[in-house]
Amino acid sequence: MSITLTATPDLRAGAILVIDDEMQIRRALSEALAPLCDEVVEAATGAAGIAQAAAASPDLIILDLGLPDMAGVSVCLEIRRWSTVPIVVLSARHAEQEKVELFSAGADDYVTKPFGLAELVARVQAQLRRARVAMHSSTTPFLYDGLSIDIAHREVRRDGTLIRLTRTEWQLLQTFVTHAGRTLTHQQIFDLVWAKSFGNPQQYLRVHLTNLRRKIEREPAAPRLIITEPGVGYRFVVPQE
Amino acid sequence: MTQGRRPAAWIIWGLLLAVVTVVMLQSRADIDQAHVSLTMLLVVLGGSVAGGRALGFTLSAICILLINYYFQSPFELFTVSKPFDWVVLLNFLATSFVATELLTRARQQADAAEARTSEVEALSRLGAESLQYATAEEALGAIANLVRHAMGADACSIAPLAQPSQPRTPALDRHSDDALRAQAEQATARILATGRPVLLSASNALVEHPTADISTSATAVIRTRFIALPLRAEERIIGVLTVRGEQPLVLDSPRRRLLAAMAYYAAPGTERMRLMAEAAQAEMLRETQRAKDQIFASVSHDLRTPLTTIKVLAQSGAARGGPSSIAIAEQADRLARMVADLLELSRLRTGGLAIAPELNTADDLIGAALRQAEGMLDGRRVDVHLDFDAPTLVGRFDFVHTLRIVGNLLDNALRYTPPQGIVELRAERHGGWLVISVADRGEGVAPHEQDRIFESFYRPASASPDAGHAGLGLSIARTLAEVQGGTVTYRSRPGGGSIFELRLPAADVDDMAASDLGTSDHA
Repeated sequence: MSITLTATPDLRAGAILVIDDEMQIRRALSEALAPLCDEVVEAATGAAGIAQAAAASPDLIILDLGLPDMAGVSVCLEIRRWSTVPIVVLSARHAEQEKVELFSAGADDYVTKPFGLAELVARVQAQLRRARVAMHSSTTPFLYDGLSIDIAHREVRRDGTLIRLTRTEWQLLQTFVTHAGRTLTHQQIFDLVWAKSFGNPQQYLRVHLTNLRRKIEREPAAPRLIITEPGVGYRFVVPQE
Repeated sequence: MTQGRRPAAWIIWGLLLAVVTVVMLQSRADIDQAHVSLTMLLVVLGGSVAGGRALGFTLSAICILLINYYFQSPFELFTVSKPFDWVVLLNFLATSFVATELLTRARQQADAAEARTSEVEALSRLGAESLQYATAEEALGAIANLVRHAMGADACSIAPLAQPSQPRTPALDRHSDDALRAQAEQATARILATGRPVLLSASNALVEHPTADISTSATAVIRTRFIALPLRAEERIIGVLTVRGEQPLVLDSPRRRLLAAMAYYAAPGTERMRLMAEAAQAEMLRETQRAKDQIFASVSHDLRTPLTTIKVLAQSGAARGGPSSIAIAEQADRLARMVADLLELSRLRTGGLAIAPELNTADDLIGAALRQAEGMLDGRRVDVHLDFDAPTLVGRFDFVHTLRIVGNLLDNALRYTPPQGIVELRAERHGGWLVISVADRGEGVAPHEQDRIFESFYRPASASPDAGHAGLGLSIARTLAEVQGGTVTYRSRPGGGSIFELRLPAADVDDMAASDLGTSDHA
């Protein structure tokens, strides 16, 4: 086993804020994240973190939930009141309910302790990429591995062949593409896809989703585009070509 | 009508009759027999209202003698000289007797109505008592008191049964006397056996009432010093009502009906008390559960946080090229897995696990399991056998727990598979079951070990001593399957190796949901 931490140069960020009360973790994270950004800003408490989030205007925030002064969800909600900066949460708990709460509070990703540095760096990169893509996409078709998703023309093609989707499948796909890179909780997906059509049995979300995957994934058993976040929801990833 | 008023009524109406007679005697020349008999009839009616049937009849008998003696010629003699006088006397007798009888009957009916009214009042108070008290215990005490008053008994108790049809020492029976308590317990046992009321016979033996309903009885009046009735809710016996008197209780038909009705109304109060006890118990369990959850959360947090620090520091050391740092990171991972297993197992053992079965697809489960297993492959391969052209396989299960099961089975299979080897993962529908199987070409499990591999901390004799796990994976997998109504079983694989099979309740996607799946094509 060898560990290499590399950063894609074009994704280099301005500042990354690490909010964690453990000095050792902050130090190790700063070291690991240094290749990704110009500066790593550290905060040891929730209050200091919120202040730094405003003062340093970071491109990404890493937030530990075990802070001495504030609940992680509160910090998340507070920052979300005025910022859309990607937030990656670190938690020592294995509770799915907590994850759901955090995603509802506006967190973008979630890493369970003990996590690997490589895993965390990959997640951070994915969030930085998503933030960048979100800035200049939405009209250009999404292209990946022979698959093209054209939201504007409501067209999905695999290797040039048109893929036929049902209305629900299309709405699901559209929701995922417009929220690419973000984990959507089951509830959020219900609200986005089924909000206008009452009576559609929401419990069939997973069935619709499985059918969509079978149509757009090259290997439906090993999905690359729509990733399951167990107990929380789904995430449409922006794969690295 | 009370006994005490009667002698006074006799004296008063006797005197009044004398006065009336004297007054009319003064003007005997001016009045005829009609005046006399009508006036006397008034006295008779008044007397029977005040003094009842006996006084009425006595007064009318005296009046006949007075009329004949003083007001029919020949005066001052008990003789009837004219046939017309007979007519007057007989008329008077008939009229006064009929009037007295009618008055008495009306009075008896009024008394009976009054008795019914007080019974209804007692019953309605019973209903109110059972609701107005804060605790069911107080309510039952009040009801028992009410029954005691209404039945004119010396003691009454209502004893709820802790478990339906399970005898228990009556909680509300405040008898200090051991003999009485033994009697109540014996009666309770008899009631549970037969479902019929039990009472103390004249010879001081406990006997069952011939029918379950005390108000339907062949005997006109039951006299007993002790009676016990079952209290029922939804056909189950939920308690026992006992009534006892120092003097025998006289239970005529209306009083038996009242007693039966009171028992009927006391039942909901008893049931309420039982339910409240159950609710209190449930609340205590929830409280314990919350405490357990908190402990798990904090132990989990306390163990994971230093492990994270170790792992992160080791990894950043490894990134700088420190060879021992890699070993530290690996060992930290191993420790973290064991901690997770132990926490999960103790959570399962103490019942601290929330299960949320939902409609889930086999595709989704297998995809997530493969993604998790990616890090463990090390050159091995997992082949998936799932028919993607057939309709999606659907089951009703908890996704996170089931992912854990499949993850543990894959982990186990990969551990016994050599590098470049293949593990097969399969999903099928067998009747009412969604079957997910994991097959490897490892050494398999010896027949005598096939049951033991699901025990906690058990490791087969063939396992390497440093397998990096505590032998909990299969035990956790089986328990997690069982808590959601499924199973995990082992069988030997023909040609060598093992097959672990997870069975979960399958589900069907009904037409309503399918309506969107097949029709209204987009694009």
